[in-house]
Amino acid sequence: MENSMNFETIVGIEIHVEMKTKSKMFSLAPITFGDKPNTEVALLDMAFPGTMPRVNKEAVRNAIRVSNALHMSIDQELWFDRKNYFYSDLPKGYQITQQARPIGSKGYLEIEIDGEKKRIHIERLHMEEDTCMQHHFSDYTLLDYNRAGIPLIEIVSKPEIRSGLEARKYVEKIREIVTFSNVSDGKMEEGSLRCDVNVSIRPYGSNDFGTKVEVKNLNSIANVEKAIDFEAKRQSELLLMGKEVEQETRRFDEAKKETVLMRKKTDAADYKYFTEPNIPPIKLSDKFVEDAIATCPELYDHKLERFLNDYKLNSVDAKILLADVDFSLYYDEAAKSTKLYQPLANFMISEVNGYLNKNNISINEFKVDAKYISELVELLQSKKINSSQGKEIFAKLVKENKSPLALQKELGAILISDEETIRKLVLEVLEQNVTLRDDYKAGKTRAQGFVMGQIMKKTGGKVNPGVANKVIIEELKK
Amino acid sequence: MNYLDLTLSEIHEALVNKKVTPLELTKEAIKRAKENKDNAFELIIEEDAIKKATELSNHEVPKDNYFYGIPYVAKDNFSTKGYETNASSNILKGYVPLFDATAIEALNKAGAILIGKSTLDELAMGGTGTSGHLGTTFNPYDPTHTHLIGGSSCGSAVAVSDSIVPFALGSDTGDSIRKPASHSGLVGLKPTWGLISRFGLFPFAPSMDHVGFFTRSVKDSAIALNLLAFHDDKDSTSAFKEKEDYVANLNSEVKGKKIAVVSEILNSIQDKTIKSAFENLIKKLEKDGAEVNYVNFSRDLLNAIYPTYMVISCAESTSNNANLDGIKFGPYLGGKTYQEVIYNARTNGFSPLIKRRFVLGSYSLMRENQHDLFLRAQKARRLIVDKCNELFNQYDAIVLPASPTPAPLIKGSNEKVQKDYLAADNWLAIGNFGGFPSITLPMGFENELPFGVNVTCKPYDEVNMFNIALNIEKNTGFAGLSYQNHKEKDGK
Amino acid sequence: MKKVNKEVLKDAANRLYFDMTDDEYETLLEEFDTIQEEFELMGQICGVDEVTPMTFPFDVSIDYLRDDIPETPLDVEDVLKNAGNVKDGQIKLPKVVG
Repeated sequence: MENSMNFETIVGIEIHVEMKTKSKMFSLAPITFGDKPNTEVALLDMAFPGTMPRVNKEAVRNAIRVSNALHMSIDQELWFDRKNYFYSDLPKGYQITQQARPIGSKGYLEIEIDGEKKRIHIERLHMEEDTCMQHHFSDYTLLDYNRAGIPLIEIVSKPEIRSGLEARKYVEKIREIVTFSNVSDGKMEEGSLRCDVNVSIRPYGSNDFGTKVEVKNLNSIANVEKAIDFEAKRQSELLLMGKEVEQETRRFDEAKKETVLMRKKTDAADYKYFTEPNIPPIKLSDKFVEDAIATCPELYDHKLERFLNDYKLNSVDAKILLADVDFSLYYDEAAKSTKLYQPLANFMISEVNGYLNKNNISINEFKVDAKYISELVELLQSKKINSSQGKEIFAKLVKENKSPLALQKELGAILISDEETIRKLVLEVLEQNVTLRDDYKAGKTRAQGFVMGQIMKKTGGKVNPGVANKVIIEELKK
Repeated sequence: MNYLDLTLSEIHEALVNKKVTPLELTKEAIKRAKENKDNAFELIIEEDAIKKATELSNHEVPKDNYFYGIPYVAKDNFSTKGYETNASSNILKGYVPLFDATAIEALNKAGAILIGKSTLDELAMGGTGTSGHLGTTFNPYDPTHTHLIGGSSCGSAVAVSDSIVPFALGSDTGDSIRKPASHSGLVGLKPTWGLISRFGLFPFAPSMDHVGFFTRSVKDSAIALNLLAFHDDKDSTSAFKEKEDYVANLNSEVKGKKIAVVSEILNSIQDKTIKSAFENLIKKLEKDGAEVNYVNFSRDLLNAIYPTYMVISCAESTSNNANLDGIKFGPYLGGKTYQEVIYNARTNGFSPLIKRRFVLGSYSLMRENQHDLFLRAQKARRLIVDKCNELFNQYDAIVLPASPTPAPLIKGSNEKVQKDYLAADNWLAIGNFGGFPSITLPMGFENELPFGVNVTCKPYDEVNMFNIALNIEKNTGFAGLSYQNHKEKDGK
Repeated sequence: MKKVNKEVLKDAANRLYFDMTDDEYETLLEEFDTIQEEFELMGQICGVDEVTPMTFPFDVSIDYLRDDIPETPLDVEDVLKNAGNVKDGQIKLPKVVG
């Protein structure tokens, strides 16, 4: 009997990315996310008769930037089509999309698994508009039109993904591109990045495709991987039992960690596409396209290279900083006011990150100017304060967003660094312990530590240890 | 005589010279609207109109603003803020828009006074003026109510030909202004596609929809276009075109102009009165120095106009009207599921004719039919437009009777897809296929019913079109024609 | 092209979320006969399948895009003013399943 190892998993992924433009794709309603229902709605979003679409320049720029990051060819004439179907969440009874001529086509991205690179080809990237949000209750549904018309990018891969792991890497890479290019916040759990995966299996060596099953409702990248692996296993078990895989739409049940049937697919729906007659073809100049690309915020790979080469960070830390685009931007900002790049990175990763995690907030909600973090790192590195003073200042800094130098004064967090002051303290100790000099000269280096301990005790730890060490040795040698 | 029986420019002069006030005009217009028995109104706007007219009457009438204090009517497929707009369809009953169409806004800003919303064929999808939810709209020239006025802008045609107002907005997707203009002795214009903003016009088939209007003279038509032709950001298809002064450029000189008469169309007309009136007109044009040639178009292409129009317009309309689901606006009739809610609203809201059109349109767009129907229609459209452009390379205008007969009888007419049709009955749709500026104006009478002639030119050639039309108007002597003054002239 | 009969038309109507009476389907069938006849004739027009389909009446291409500057949105009351079934500041429908 054959086992499941004899089947190859074939996966294609459709990703919808919600853009974070200021206004909608075709209407001028503002987008701020998370507002009260129906407070971000323009006439067009309600499909009032006689309203007409107007294409958002920034949405086009975003689509160009992502297309470019995915090595796609860019169509410099925009055409839009209508996708006609009825649904409770679709106000116009059609969605404006780009069926015939997507703005981006024929691209690829590279994923890396165990150090090996693999290229996944991407068929198309197009712009379209979101539907309204449905809130379901026990026996009714409420419609919120704030989401209706938010610009979307749809990215369709070729069926070249071969496992859940590859799928995860692919989605991670897409998320990285759309977040670093500032196109989207890319949050799967909040629906700003949505994945539908098509999974089929076939015997190794076969060139035919098996029956495709679509899995929807994947609200995390981890679930993408789990759903595909589960689905591949489910399908191979079916085939091994002599059953058929049926063409259907399933969803991932998070609790059960398995896919469950949503509906059988009948004939593929007919969306009766035709050219949107209210949007003339829009010609994009070379300059517009070039500018969109040139002004694209720095993407991950480029940023990583810069963090390694310019800041000379170690690669583990660089990748930690880059795990979140906003965190990396904050680091960049802080790095403008100091050259202590690695200590800054360490502080960001341990102290700042620790604070964010503890308070469950994002870097965007962190109210401290980046330059103050640099100032604090400089204070610590120059040993003008010790680490506990550093923590004290940081605790006040996150509340007051004031210069750490000023806070240092306020807290009296000063280390004694003046050699003569320290020498006086050292001499006091030596006078009280007359054997120390001889002990030291006899090779008992403990004497040095003893002196340090004593002066720290006297000052409550507020002695610059570097300076103190130097003075102690000088005096012991006398 | 009342000032309302005059043309817009004459009324304007009377306003400037203080012979009449906006308030007097508005009161009379509302009175006439109420007295009219032709079923022309969805809504008569009395209180607000009187209020505005009173306010305007307190000021000096600006000499350069023809529309100041002029009462007007808009077809009920123009969105009007605060006034129910239902496009003569039950599915939109009770819908009160939150915004004004751009054309309405421009007229109101100029000081024109909206006194009513006029009836139309349901959702503008008809050509008889019989399919609106209020029933048939009648032709003022026929007090026995046995003849059509034509559609879909039927109520607006009544309003102007019955001298209720000197100007009314209409929309034209196949010939919806220019055909009723022919049947009611009016000047009906649809300019180049994109010249007047469509924002706020309920869409029927956007690639062929035009905003246009009825007036009682060619000059009034030029005056109205001066006001309404401008770029509008709210309509992405609105033209970026330098403003032209159609009034200042108006003259009746046709010397050296080359005019094409399409032989196959003219020859298909049986009506002798229309034919001889047209031949007379051509002679006069020639006498004034125009060069007139009889040209062949292609019978195949002419035969294709009607089915091409049907398929494209129905296909686009099924999509444009998919927003009518009873959820966001229009009567909510309930249901156990959301599907039932939509189904109930649409089954009860649309007339059978509209449903048949939607099925035809939707069927034409289906994957398995699109190539043979919708795309083929779009290809035929290109061939027809190419052929017109070929003519426009050699000729300044196509001039033909606007209709093969005067207004047909109501009895026996229907909106069924026609089996035997005349190119002469449908040729005006080429103006919509190619977005050409096209104007109909009165040419003559037969048994007391008017009939019109049409001038169609290449895109943005409105100046030329107006001048040829003005020449024709001089030759026919029909400037200012209305049912009222026609009746008086005849001594009835 | 799909063969037209009453079932096909009924299916097409239902996909548009409405129904018609039997008489109307009969009328529609007659109309389809006419249209399809016309279109077969049109298929024979010289060059008809060699040109590209025309959506816009003439070359209307533009090089203009709207700036991404939002306008003040509608008031919630206005959004819902024309809706027949409203609850808690939203439009209400029977529970949407699937």
